[in-house]
Amino acid sequence: MSAPELVTVTVDDQELQVPKGQGMVETALAAGIEIPVFCYEPRLGPPVGACRMCLCEVEGLPKLQAACTLTAQDGLVLRTARTSEKAAEGQDAILEFILLNHPLDCPDCDKGGECPLQDLTFRFGPGSTRMQFPKRTFDKPIPISPLIALDRERCILCYRCTRFSETVAEDGQLVAVNRGAQSVIATFQDEPYRAHFSGNVLELCPVGALTSTTYRFRARPWEIQNVPTVCGLCPVGCNVWATTREGKVARILSRNHPDVHEGWLCDKGRFAHEHVRAPDRIRTPLLRVRRRGFEEVSEDDALDAAAEGLRAAEGSVVVAFSGAETVEQAAALARVARKALGSHSALLPDDWDPGLDAFRAPLSAIRDAEVCLVVGDDPVVERAPIVDLWLRSARRAGSEVVTLNPGGSVPVAPGTAAQVCASLREGGKRVPKELRATSERLREAKRVALVWSQDDETGGRHVGALANELHEGGGADVAVYVLPRAPNGRGVAAAWHAAGEGDAKPAEEGEIGALVVSGDEAASDPRVRELAGRARFVLTTAMFQSEVTAWSHVVLPGTSYLERDGTFVNLEGRPQRVRRAVAPPGPDELEWLSRLGERLGLDIAPWAAPGTAEQAELPPADEFAWSQPDPQVSAGKSAGPGLELVRFRPLFSGAAVERVPQLAFQRPAPEVELAWDDAQTRGIAAGETVAVSSNGTSRELRARLNRRLRTGVVRIADEHAEGFEDRVQVAKADA
Amino acid sequence: MGLRALLLEHADARDLTQLAEYEAVGGYASLRKALGMERQAVLDELLAANVRGRGGAGFPMGRKASFLPKPDETTKPIYLVVNADESEPGTFKDRELMLRVPHTFVEGIVIAGYTIGASQAFVYVRGEYLTEYEVLVAALEEAREAGYVGPDVLGSGWGLTIVVHRGAGAYICGEETGLLESLEGSRGQPRTKPPFPAVSGLYASPTLINNVETLATVPKIVEMGGEAYARIGVENSAGTRVFSLSGNVVRGGNYELELGTTLRELIYDIGGGIPDGRELKAIIPGGSSVPILTAAEVDTPLDFDAMAEAGTMLGSGAVIVIDDRCCTVQLGLRVAQFYMHESCGKCTPCREGTRWMVQLLRKIEDGEATQGELDVLLDVCDRILGNCLCPLGDAAAMPIASYVAKFRDEHQRHIDEGGCPFGGESSLDGVVAPVDQHHAHMRGQIEVPTHA
Repeated sequence: MSAPELVTVTVDDQELQVPKGQGMVETALAAGIEIPVFCYEPRLGPPVGACRMCLCEVEGLPKLQAACTLTAQDGLVLRTARTSEKAAEGQDAILEFILLNHPLDCPDCDKGGECPLQDLTFRFGPGSTRMQFPKRTFDKPIPISPLIALDRERCILCYRCTRFSETVAEDGQLVAVNRGAQSVIATFQDEPYRAHFSGNVLELCPVGALTSTTYRFRARPWEIQNVPTVCGLCPVGCNVWATTREGKVARILSRNHPDVHEGWLCDKGRFAHEHVRAPDRIRTPLLRVRRRGFEEVSEDDALDAAAEGLRAAEGSVVVAFSGAETVEQAAALARVARKALGSHSALLPDDWDPGLDAFRAPLSAIRDAEVCLVVGDDPVVERAPIVDLWLRSARRAGSEVVTLNPGGSVPVAPGTAAQVCASLREGGKRVPKELRATSERLREAKRVALVWSQDDETGGRHVGALANELHEGGGADVAVYVLPRAPNGRGVAAAWHAAGEGDAKPAEEGEIGALVVSGDEAASDPRVRELAGRARFVLTTAMFQSEVTAWSHVVLPGTSYLERDGTFVNLEGRPQRVRRAVAPPGPDELEWLSRLGERLGLDIAPWAAPGTAEQAELPPADEFAWSQPDPQVSAGKSAGPGLELVRFRPLFSGAAVERVPQLAFQRPAPEVELAWDDAQTRGIAAGETVAVSSNGTSRELRARLNRRLRTGVVRIADEHAEGFEDRVQVAKADA
Repeated sequence: MGLRALLLEHADARDLTQLAEYEAVGGYASLRKALGMERQAVLDELLAANVRGRGGAGFPMGRKASFLPKPDETTKPIYLVVNADESEPGTFKDRELMLRVPHTFVEGIVIAGYTIGASQAFVYVRGEYLTEYEVLVAALEEAREAGYVGPDVLGSGWGLTIVVHRGAGAYICGEETGLLESLEGSRGQPRTKPPFPAVSGLYASPTLINNVETLATVPKIVEMGGEAYARIGVENSAGTRVFSLSGNVVRGGNYELELGTTLRELIYDIGGGIPDGRELKAIIPGGSSVPILTAAEVDTPLDFDAMAEAGTMLGSGAVIVIDDRCCTVQLGLRVAQFYMHESCGKCTPCREGTRWMVQLLRKIEDGEATQGELDVLLDVCDRILGNCLCPLGDAAAMPIASYVAKFRDEHQRHIDEGGCPFGGESSLDGVVAPVDQHHAHMRGQIEVPTHA
């Protein structure tokens, strides 16, 4: 790209050389001049000039101008309130108008102390009011969802929240209703604001109009501490502040990393922190006692039993990782298995092909792509929610976003992501008809982003090979984003591989000496449950009870990502520091491993030792050959009667979400997504109850019709598809 | 000066809603003439005519059209949008034109569309104008059948589709960018400018937006030639305008006058003066949003510059005559109530300021205001003026400030005497609709006629 043209502008008598078209609020700020704003927020798209707080004088124009709507043009002379009396008077007027009906209930408003309106009033505002009339009041608070409360009388109508809803998350649920002084923010048709990213409006709100029900009246800004850390609930790794008060996490705020998440968070990352204080959390080590079930034991007794059980397995040990471990923790566990126990058998949530490193790019590069291609059956928003926002942002910026899945813009058959990649890689006449347009478009494009969104046993080889072809054959800049299943799936896999040679898959059948279950996600994995059934000894570390803890012999209390120190590697391959926001109730995993190592003759540091994170680095890529991926994966299960079931793991699921009552409404509704034609032939209308059955299991679900979904396919969230096989019968439920 | 029918020519003698009648008096001849000219040549005629926008702002139409890129300079479609959302209180000229000379209007749209190279035009009709809508649609249908509108206008190879869209009852949708938002299906709220519609208007494409009367003038300009048209009226205010005369006057109604005619001529000679032996007190010369004139200023000519000199505006051409029964505080309150009700709520000064103005004016009218609050009222007007996103805030602040300025004594008496010197009498009879009626309308207590 060529360097941007520089222009000369003058702000308060300072001559500045800035890139043409740069916003004047930023331009002034760079020169150390603050232009106060409320509605202006560049992340929400073009400026709207609604609040008028940024009024400035522009030479040659009779009226004051909203500086937020101005961009740097050569010769522009801007005077802010600092040097222009007219601008100062205008700004003063606006602040008077804004405060006119604002209740000034700062002493009991949650925003008080960290409120932009309070701050700007303090700096620029009048000391008293001339308003002698009763202020506008509304019913309050209005729960716009179980997570968000709205105090309308505090609202200054900057429209940040509605703009977020309309132009960033594109859910269109927050709207302004009524007109003029009676304008209020509301949800569309007063339905609850149920969306993956709703919580962002809390932070966008420049006053205390939108507050979270989980933080409301819980703390004052001067008695909290904000700990910078990274969210550990999905592979995006959003940077966050964990607000703590009296040793407890009170809320999660975003800490804007422009390359990773642009400051947006999903509601899981923002609200699931309450699980840390769940009453049913395992707080003491548990030891299985014959007939009597479990007994709470001392830490040393538990560790002695664990060491004994592991030793007795004589190397027949399987380690089941959850992918939510820190790199340091995974490395320590890998050492225990490989070095002390002599086992090289692990169950990893994700694997990673080192060759993908050639196509590594920050998530923000998605927005710069001409074409974004999303392959895989899992909805991106459920797997790595922020990636969905990046894709939307790319589409708004003019990029073509092609989704290849049974409900996508090209509705391909389920389970065919690998074949799709292979076909697109080959190109030419052999590309199936439905992919031809995509194939041609891909080959024309100079900047391509490829997103792989489903579990992949090959570690991303299929999409990697396609990227290689587009790059080598077409000379395109290609970025590849393989969305792992687990938050630190990438770092854990790397740490496991780095800890030793040899990699054995767990045996398909037969007795296992010992099974080590690391974390709640592993404990809820059906594959792990199956392994636990044939293990002589099961050692589990978990925060909560599950079917697998019930099978265990020793259970050690686990911790949350908010209670650990260490490193997470996100889906971009970016190592990020996780900091302990609050102390865990007992030892954390690293300390358990250190003390277990002691018993097994291994020296493991009980803290995240410097240098350990380097183990998460992937080996160099140049030796990898992309030419041989095997596309014959998981195809051909489509035969038979009934409809093909595609399951997905919803974002709002898992042990943490289940323990936050306010998030219950976000969990997937008991729905089955039906293709339009399939619904027609069965006489099913949208919203009707239908019976879904498979192999003796039958369940009533609400029909949701999707015109885009491929005929012959149904989609059901995991938690409503339990017990179903790959094909299901769908019929209208008896009235 | 005085009455002169250009737009409404023949409209008294014939039913010009019928295509045949319109053609009989030379209808659509201007379109044929224009289609035989280069686009630039038609534009040059408009520029030469120096015709200023009849919607309210008075911006020269030809210059506005010349800001648009030429069809070969842009990859985007060019749109023509017609502002038929006539809602300025006191204004009812566009409805007269749509009802009586719809074909002149349609012809103007087609010529303007040809001039800028648009292939689609949108007419945004005020929601309450049901009959007008029906007459317009019927005329369009006739014009379509006759080949004046459609994919190939009169065999020229150039086509124009005209879409008529009805608003849903919001004053703000008469503001051009608010209109565009509404037309696109969004909440009717103005956009920040720049970009101006000529660059990025409807669907982010170059768009020319003109008022009904402005476009209805176009066929006449093409017929007479721009220079000849420019000789009508006075300097800088060429041509005729349809003035809506209302209020305390004997013969209210629409009168097409040559620009430069004085208010006195319109009110006394044409309108028959003030009824019931009352005295003229004030005149609102251009719709409720413009500053008021006193009886002493009745000799001001109705042209753009003269009005500007008098500190007011020609606006939408709505001349509201006010006699001596009127309490200007009540008038201000009623006008402020209108703007408070119609403020869209997007920008702060208008949303908050109009409400405050109403609160203050009510207090003054009730005789409970302090001296300081009269100053606060003026200050509020001053702080709204020029600080808003669109002209609605100014439209509320300017008249109120002028009422206080020109009738300061009357406002003072409200404070000094602790009440309205006019008592409880409804002194706004015939000047503005009472607010109760407005609210009754809102509550559905007044039946709104609907057509099958």
